[in-house]
Amino acid sequence: MLTFILKRLGQAVPVLLAIYTITFFMIRLAPGGPFSDERKVAEHILERQMEYYGYNDPLIVQYGRTLLQHVKLDLPPLTSHIGLTAADIISESFPVSLELGLWAMAIALFLGVPAGVIAASRQNTWLDYTPMSLAMTGICLPTFVVGPILALIFGIWLRWTSVAGWASPVDRILPSLTLGLYYAAYIARLTRGGMLEILSSDFVRTARAKGATEFRAVVIHALRGGILPVISFLGPALAGLVTGSFVVETIFQVPGLGRHFVLAAVNRDHSLILSTVLFYASLIMLANLMVDVLQVLLNPKLRYK
Amino acid sequence: MHLSPKIKTEPEAPRSLWTDSFRRLLDNRLALFGLGFFAFISIMCYLGPFAYRLSPDSQVLALESTLPFTKAQLVEVRYDSEKATPDEVTTLVDFGEVYALDPEADTAALSRDGTLTLKGIKFDAVERFHLLGTDSKGRDILARIMRGGRISLGVAFLATLTALLIGVNYGLVSGYFGGRLDVLMMRFVDILYAIPFLIFVILLMILFDGFRYKILLVFIAIGAVEWLTMARIVRGQVLHLKEQEFISAARATGVKTFSILSKHLAPNLLGPVVVYSTLLIPAVMLLESTLSFLGLGMGANMASWGTMIKDGQESMRSAPWELIAPSIFFSATLFAMNFLGDGLRDALDVKSAKD
Repeated sequence: MLTFILKRLGQAVPVLLAIYTITFFMIRLAPGGPFSDERKVAEHILERQMEYYGYNDPLIVQYGRTLLQHVKLDLPPLTSHIGLTAADIISESFPVSLELGLWAMAIALFLGVPAGVIAASRQNTWLDYTPMSLAMTGICLPTFVVGPILALIFGIWLRWTSVAGWASPVDRILPSLTLGLYYAAYIARLTRGGMLEILSSDFVRTARAKGATEFRAVVIHALRGGILPVISFLGPALAGLVTGSFVVETIFQVPGLGRHFVLAAVNRDHSLILSTVLFYASLIMLANLMVDVLQVLLNPKLRYK
Repeated sequence: MHLSPKIKTEPEAPRSLWTDSFRRLLDNRLALFGLGFFAFISIMCYLGPFAYRLSPDSQVLALESTLPFTKAQLVEVRYDSEKATPDEVTTLVDFGEVYALDPEADTAALSRDGTLTLKGIKFDAVERFHLLGTDSKGRDILARIMRGGRISLGVAFLATLTALLIGVNYGLVSGYFGGRLDVLMMRFVDILYAIPFLIFVILLMILFDGFRYKILLVFIAIGAVEWLTMARIVRGQVLHLKEQEFISAARATGVKTFSILSKHLAPNLLGPVVVYSTLLIPAVMLLESTLSFLGLGMGANMASWGTMIKDGQESMRSAPWELIAPSIFFSATLFAMNFLGDGLRDALDVKSAKD
């Protein structure tokens, strides 16, 4: 297991290098830089700025220097936040995104898994059709439709929640729900599929035959196998949570990393874009690794390979 | 007893794979509904403007945020510097060409014959019917939905076409030639997969910023991201197909590699490619609208459904229909396309396009 983890971590290095290279050249070849908009700045000040941020060196020198800075985790100053580095921005705003993501995931699992289990154990009854139609709706509805509509209904018409912000606990409800409902729908479908397969297998019949209650047969015996598709979905789900947070944080004005990334793209803050992309990529690879380990722990078939 | 077995002399008419598939599709109500709704939306967006002749851009400030299904009476005061008495008429036309008649205002009143006289000049009143109301800038929502739909559908089709071209060719080459080239090409796809694709699209949008034909580049940018899954599906299919006899036969008889790829392999990929393309269209519409929603899309004068939903969110306190109307059209179209795609997948019996 340890060698497996180390090997995967080793594989991550060239991938990260490739992502760094692609991102670096894509944003540097783009027209417009961090100093090219808004007010006209005097020539000599612009010159000083270009020098300070290291834009005067040849591109390949900048490529190497920025790479080294990221390896040493000694990040350059940002053009859109004076006196701060990407590390400051990330350490300040990522916890917000993480909290949002965890709430969303909790909502997704607590709604999705029970719905899927009930649908599978009552296949082709209304207990199956109702949650599955709702799940289909949840998958088709885009986040940026669900979010504003929820804000309209619960924030403005009913006044149960706030419309935007991230200051009080109440503010967490709508963003987490918006982000979580899509995954709840997806997880419900995956759980139902996995459970249907397991429920017809021999060992569940054995469990029932020896007199286990229906609840015990389904939840204790079958769920462990039936949940596997959900576990393998968690990796891609995390990548989706990251990009989903761009939209949700924009809708509800949450000061998370996703909002910062979108603003960095709008403001052309090269260094912040680059660092954030690398951070996201590492995060996703780490999450995929964790999911793989979890899968091996849950599925005895994979353990001896 | 003499048995005379009834032998059918006439063989049953052969049924091709496509007739069978078509029959299965017709049996699927949801898919048919999807197809019907998609046809309705396309006709509405492309032909609707000929029947519903309000401009999506004309702003009538006096008519801002009118409720859906309400009639508005207004007088069109065309600016005519020679005829019009400058003072009063210019103040009216300052807000554009059209002046809405406010029933409470006592400065200008509509007479019984439906005309308005200002400084001795007579203007005819027209009745205007905003089916879905107007937005916070006084623009007709339905007209904007029709134009937004044209943009969304146009982007979706062109981007899907781009993804199709890149993905099919990439997958064909990678799968057919195999070996080290295959490993290299698929490794590249894996790397691109590791970047969340919205991030990649945002990077592409930055790269293409400032170009004159940005809308074209948006198609390409989105297509350039969405081809990855297509390439994987095609490669998988080719790996399976190239071991079959008809390819060996073609190779043995000296058919050129290019012809094998284009004439023997490509037609056999039609099923999965059609299915995946149908599912790709809603995915692209979603991506394009997400970009517009984030403010990284095509800009204010090319308002797609995503932009409209964003604008609607900003004025949802005063005019919730401005948010609700485009949301309903957008979601219903996504539903319809997904139903159609799922139906086609079942009809053509293609294994799940997701991996």
